[in-house]
Amino acid sequence: MKMKSPTAMIPGLYLTLFFAYLFGPLIIMVITAFNSSSFPRVSPWECFTTDWFGKLAADDKLLAGLGNSLLIGVGVVCVAIPIGLAAAITLSQVGPKLRAALYTIFIAPILVPGVVIGLSTLIFWDRIGTLFNAPYESFFYDGTFLTIFGQVTFIAAYSMLVFLSRIQRFDTTLTEAALDMGATPTQAFIKVLLPFMAPAIGSATVLAFLASLENYNTTVFTIVSSSTFTTVLSSKVRYGLDPSISAVAVIIIAITLIGAIIYECRNRYNTKGWAHVVADRPVLKVATHPGTVAVILGLLALAAVVFIQNHDSSACTAQILEDKRALQQKLMEEQSLNTPQQTVPAPTMPNLGPLGGDEGGASAPSPFGNSIFSPENLGTSAPDGQ
Amino acid sequence: MRDLFYDLVRRNGMAVSIYLMLAVSIWVFLLIILPQLTMLDYSFRFNLPPAKIGGPEDVYTLEQYRYFFQGSGASDGINTLDIGILFKTLFAAVFVTVFDLIICYPVAFVLAKSSAGAKARLLVLALIVPYWINEILRAFAFRILFGATGVINETGMGLGLWDTPIDFIREDVALYAGLAYAYILLMIFPLYNAIESLDRNQIEAARDMGANWWQVHAKVVIPYAKPGIASGMTMVFMLTSGALAAPQILGGPSNLWFTQLVYQWFNSGGNWPRGSAYAMVLLIVCIALVLLVMRLFKVSIGEIKQ
Repeated sequence: MKMKSPTAMIPGLYLTLFFAYLFGPLIIMVITAFNSSSFPRVSPWECFTTDWFGKLAADDKLLAGLGNSLLIGVGVVCVAIPIGLAAAITLSQVGPKLRAALYTIFIAPILVPGVVIGLSTLIFWDRIGTLFNAPYESFFYDGTFLTIFGQVTFIAAYSMLVFLSRIQRFDTTLTEAALDMGATPTQAFIKVLLPFMAPAIGSATVLAFLASLENYNTTVFTIVSSSTFTTVLSSKVRYGLDPSISAVAVIIIAITLIGAIIYECRNRYNTKGWAHVVADRPVLKVATHPGTVAVILGLLALAAVVFIQNHDSSACTAQILEDKRALQQKLMEEQSLNTPQQTVPAPTMPNLGPLGGDEGGASAPSPFGNSIFSPENLGTSAPDGQ
Repeated sequence: MRDLFYDLVRRNGMAVSIYLMLAVSIWVFLLIILPQLTMLDYSFRFNLPPAKIGGPEDVYTLEQYRYFFQGSGASDGINTLDIGILFKTLFAAVFVTVFDLIICYPVAFVLAKSSAGAKARLLVLALIVPYWINEILRAFAFRILFGATGVINETGMGLGLWDTPIDFIREDVALYAGLAYAYILLMIFPLYNAIESLDRNQIEAARDMGANWWQVHAKVVIPYAKPGIASGMTMVFMLTSGALAAPQILGGPSNLWFTQLVYQWFNSGGNWPRGSAYAMVLLIVCIALVLLVMRLFKVSIGEIKQ
């Protein structure tokens, strides 16, 4: 390490802090998805609940948006991958001067703000549509098509970068050998270059699909009157914070983690060192096979889904609600005692005493109770408003 | 152009060459250049109802740009509001970029120079995972974190650091933290790639000749990693200044990001030419700033990669 002994811990400590910044917000978001409080938060903890997932499954808008997003993602992959591949091959075959110029043009869509790409796409196709006097239902005005065009503009550049880093390692003598042995240039392309590029095509496809799914800046302009998963999510967030959004995050994080674990297992499984370790241990070999890991994780996910469907927190939430009501009653009682001339009979009050522990209730500020029952001053023990 | 095509045909055959040329042309012209030119053209026009487009009133004008500089008032006024938002956006983007550079440089250095094999791969994977989470959700996470009853406020008040909840949203703290978070990966990877290729012996040599850790970085590592630093900073700056989701979710009610102005003119304003003009202003100012900084640090745009 570059540091001397007393400071040798600094890099590790720094990395820990850094990863805390990276993962802390996500972890807290995950926790809020299981709190029954109607505002996403960790404290005060009310009840462990899985109801927010149920609310999510009933959200038709979000599901429709997800459907559109998947469709657009497939469309983007189908267009962006061939373009990115062609761009990378072209770059590898032209002279240095043209190469530099082309590279600048190809890389530009990554640097141009997504907002600009989105609205220029929208305007351009609108103009073309007007030029051809196309009816309003034609694809020039269709959100799905426009979004595919807009996203391909920069996602093709991402995939080009993936292809470029692969093609730089391509041994051109392979193509020459194929040509010498009588292959036509087209055959050499299909039989030699394409198979070499296959792994890059795989990773570029995944990258392009994910980039398409999570894009917002461009999509929000080009989607017009339709919607995608991201735009629905964004309007949900902007019109009211709700733990069901945290539930979305839980699902996405779970999928991401499963993907990452399987990917890492596959990498580790394919290393030489591991092949030696499992050479004479068939059980270990099967157990660490990425397929096995995938099955185990799949079963765990399934178990989680079943648990979420069957978990019932209504008793606890009812209890919390009862506590809040009791607290409210208590406060009203105090208020009416403070102002004796205004005698409000409260017949149900005595019954509520044993139901909700007053101390427990008082420590939990109620976000909605306040505004419903009491206008301003509740008394000295009133919990602070949010 | 013809020579180029013949060269491609000789190497790849007719069918493949047609595919290459067609795919690249569609991308460059239909998706990149023509839409940008149309937007440029649009920004020099009046906002007319569809019926009047192409009619005698559809002439070129500087009105949309004039509005950006002077506002709707008298001709000698200055549109301090919109210009102020532009400057605020640029300053904030620079701040976020520098912040990202400062926190990412040590991480990239440690990752590149002291981790190897499985551990390094795992750390890199850990860096990528948060980036796969939707941008909206990452902003939402910061909303929860910094809210009036969020974890930060609860912890701060619990420790007695402050008494009443601090409005981090209004103070834009949440926005800056969220933006810095959103583009961290785009800073780490160029830095990591640049530092990783540095020969360890160079650092050893510098140390043998009596350089302390600070000099090793200032004289050896940073000059070597300059292209990586430049591309990381460019990416983060461009993406931050062009961000829309995070400012919409985390921005204070009275503080607008410049992209939100563009969005407003397009959607609620219904004024596409003015939205185009604002987008052009943003694009030109950002590119000019990036080119200027690259000039200062003597890095070419060809060195930028992800």
